[in-house]
Amino acid sequence: MMRSITFLPSYRKIDVDRGTTILDAAQHAGLNINVVCGGLGKCGKCVVFVQSGKTEFDQQKHSRFFTEEELKNGACLACATSVQGDLLVFIPESTMIQEQKILIEGLETEIEFHPSVRKYYVELEPPTLANPSPDLSRLLWGIQKSGGPVAEKMYAPLETLREIPTMLRHSDWKVTGTIALVPGGYRLIDLQENDTSKRLYGAAIDLGSTTVVVYLWDLVSGKVVGVASNYNKQISCGEDILARVNFARKNGLSKLQALAAESINTALTTASNTAGIDRDDIYEVVVAGNTVMTHMLLGIDPAYMIAEPYVPVVRRALSVAANRLGIACNPNGGVFAFPAVSDFIGGDIIADILSCGMSESDGVSLLIDIGTNFEVVLGNKDWMFSCAGAAGPALEGGEVLFGMRANPGAIDKITIDPETLTPVFSTINGIKPRGITGSGLIDLLAELLSTCVIDRNGRINTGITNPRIRTSSHFPEFVVAWAQDSGIGKDIVITENDIKNLIMSKASVHAACVTLMKEAGISRHDISTIYFAGAFGNYLNKKNATTIGLIPEIPYDQIKNIGNGAVTGANIALINRRKRKTLDEIASKIAYIELNAEPAFMDEYTSSAFLPHTDLSLFPQVQKMLDACRIQRE
Amino acid sequence: MGFNVHFDWTGSIGEVILGATKSDGGSRRVSYRIGGGTTLPFLDKNPSSPAPLIAFEICDNPVFWSPIIRNYCGELVNNLQEWAKAGDATYGADMIRLYLTSTRQRNFSDFPAVGKAVETALSATSLPLIIEGSNDPKIDSDIFQKCGEVGQGERLLLGTAEASRYRSIAAAALAYNHALIAQSPIDVNLAKQLNILLREIGIQRDHVVIDPYTGTLGYGFEYSYSAMERIRFSALKGDTDLAMPMISSAPDTLTIKEVREADLDGQDDMAVKWEFYTSLAAAVAGAEIVCVRHPKTIGMLKLAFASLKTGTGSMEVT
Repeated sequence: MMRSITFLPSYRKIDVDRGTTILDAAQHAGLNINVVCGGLGKCGKCVVFVQSGKTEFDQQKHSRFFTEEELKNGACLACATSVQGDLLVFIPESTMIQEQKILIEGLETEIEFHPSVRKYYVELEPPTLANPSPDLSRLLWGIQKSGGPVAEKMYAPLETLREIPTMLRHSDWKVTGTIALVPGGYRLIDLQENDTSKRLYGAAIDLGSTTVVVYLWDLVSGKVVGVASNYNKQISCGEDILARVNFARKNGLSKLQALAAESINTALTTASNTAGIDRDDIYEVVVAGNTVMTHMLLGIDPAYMIAEPYVPVVRRALSVAANRLGIACNPNGGVFAFPAVSDFIGGDIIADILSCGMSESDGVSLLIDIGTNFEVVLGNKDWMFSCAGAAGPALEGGEVLFGMRANPGAIDKITIDPETLTPVFSTINGIKPRGITGSGLIDLLAELLSTCVIDRNGRINTGITNPRIRTSSHFPEFVVAWAQDSGIGKDIVITENDIKNLIMSKASVHAACVTLMKEAGISRHDISTIYFAGAFGNYLNKKNATTIGLIPEIPYDQIKNIGNGAVTGANIALINRRKRKTLDEIASKIAYIELNAEPAFMDEYTSSAFLPHTDLSLFPQVQKMLDACRIQRE
Repeated sequence: MGFNVHFDWTGSIGEVILGATKSDGGSRRVSYRIGGGTTLPFLDKNPSSPAPLIAFEICDNPVFWSPIIRNYCGELVNNLQEWAKAGDATYGADMIRLYLTSTRQRNFSDFPAVGKAVETALSATSLPLIIEGSNDPKIDSDIFQKCGEVGQGERLLLGTAEASRYRSIAAAALAYNHALIAQSPIDVNLAKQLNILLREIGIQRDHVVIDPYTGTLGYGFEYSYSAMERIRFSALKGDTDLAMPMISSAPDTLTIKEVREADLDGQDDMAVKWEFYTSLAAAVAGAEIVCVRHPKTIGMLKLAFASLKTGTGSMEVT
């Protein structure tokens, strides 16, 4: 039996089978609802209000997400509510996936500008009886004379060859040739009439499972001319990677491949429009993505990667003609995909490594990329160990009652007055607070600890008399912002349960760091730099990250945020072909440690699940600071 | 027997004094100084390796007690005074551990009765006492306050602090100078974390006894053994946050399948055996105090400890 659902405020209408979840219905209607937990009823983010009609929803089971009043107004979780009758459903703005703040930043260090694609404008002598050399030789010599590679080393594919005779004569022997350095050598990929040598662009792309970021470069001047980002359209086939691999298994890979290309194309189009250029003048696209994303973009079956023994199909960089992947750039342009190491250590991590420069340094660096999953790489120019694990979404704001992504209104920085316990915070875009983002949560945890509101186990000391410390029907909680000061009309709190989730997340990251350090036989004193990559890298307070024991304690000035290292790495590989060549070498050097197979990992995890750590001697500065804070309070 | 094994350990287990005699301001006939070890138990004959203490567990509301014990002890279980006295004089325990099971009733609020029970136990025996408070965080504060107050000067061992609820019991221990039991679920790290939490709210190291939680033999005991061993190794290697004596209690020995399914006339024996072997193994793992509920187990443990040629009695301070 079909039921008709009308979604407000957009009045979008859709017919679905009885028993479908409201979430599925909304997704079919093209509405992007925020589902951090993947529709398991755990995160409480997909709140909708059923204004009329019959549904099935277990209010009791999900009561912790709602106030009495909200329930009275028909609040429910879209993922846990099944459609029984015709419905009128209101979707609040906060439930929709919002425009995400993307890290947009250039390179900190200067990278030599030496791209893999070049254009050469040549004015050739027409052939004569006295000088009868063939068209191609004539063209290649001309290119060599204008500073191009040695003529004998250039290769012209048949497609180009077919165009040469007419074009040379039609243009009166004035043409622009495009030479790309591909694994096979130099290749004449395109020939155009007259001087188009100023029109040469390349794109560096971070193909994330959530977001696609594009940097558009003028490959003549060496300048970024446009930046764009948008959601990965594969989200419609599954929120997380595993769901998408399963989708591919059931419905075929082609849809996911097409969606990946489409996501890139949308960003390319936006960036090209901003820059005012023709997409056909983009001759190269460099893509850094995680292993599954890269496989999917290339149309390689990722199914065998998600089951034991978890092997990817390729471990080296790949170059492909853009038109074979459906990438909307010049049809003769190329796509360069970053190599991957394992199912979890993908091209994005290799890009992180390239952008922080750890593979060229004598000193040992620790690189940490945090998202829902985290990846850790430890090493230097001679050796590298890597591992990956699930951090849970807490550090990104998921599974935390008032956690949110870095959208407008998210608290991203926070301090707490030790006397009055009044928080002072800033929000993204400076508007009234709507929730707390990952970096804000790390600040909050560190501040609650140093003000002794929580103990090292993360338990709130309800013995403290302060209106901000109270016990709700489920957990003790701390009020970060009162309803009248918040942008959502209710108190923004952090509960003891939230804190527990955060501690579990930070413990897995720290335990992974320690596991790699033990594998390499080094201590925290041997680490010269810690690099933070990932979504909240740039906003992260290094001192607070150390205080809660997210990372090993080293001097704060040796901790660096590299932000979106994936796109930075892609940028480097786009504009510097020598660095690009090192990628395969980096990928083959990295040893992957499977944490599940490390018996010591669980032990490290338990000892890391404490603030900052059970072994306080690993955090001498933090310990000193906390002791001082405690004495001050007493 | 004695093994001549040498380790390069530099640490030692901190000492905790349980029970106060008249000269210390209490009314106990004996007081124990437990801990102080510098190596593993039963390794040598020197008197620094005393036999573990045996604590006899009783309660103030036997509804919550194993029918095996109720059958064996008969009317005794309904008379706290006599039960405690028997534990001391008849069964020969070193300590009496009183569980305030009466507090486990719904909405319990008769706090004076709790004080009364502790007073009864104190008057029934002059052995040092372990007092087990409530199971409910809501009444923890009142219960422990009462126990602490009634037992003031007696150096009780109060139980049980856990990572999720340690503030009330710690407050009572601090206010009335009692020691406390710190229990964590079979994990060396969690044991250490709780000890740090206790230290940070002012509990001195010499007032803490670690309960690493004992699973019954055949029902996870090997995990407990390993946790106890690791706690002890860490302490002997110098980790002061783990250098406290340990207590072990495994009441599940009375309810496991083997005991439940034993022939009616063999049930008692089976229960005693299970309790005995679990306790003995816990002592070998390093427990300074082992707690039992069946009177017959006490005698068997004493024999066993003697055969291991430890010092004849626990270290007693008079």
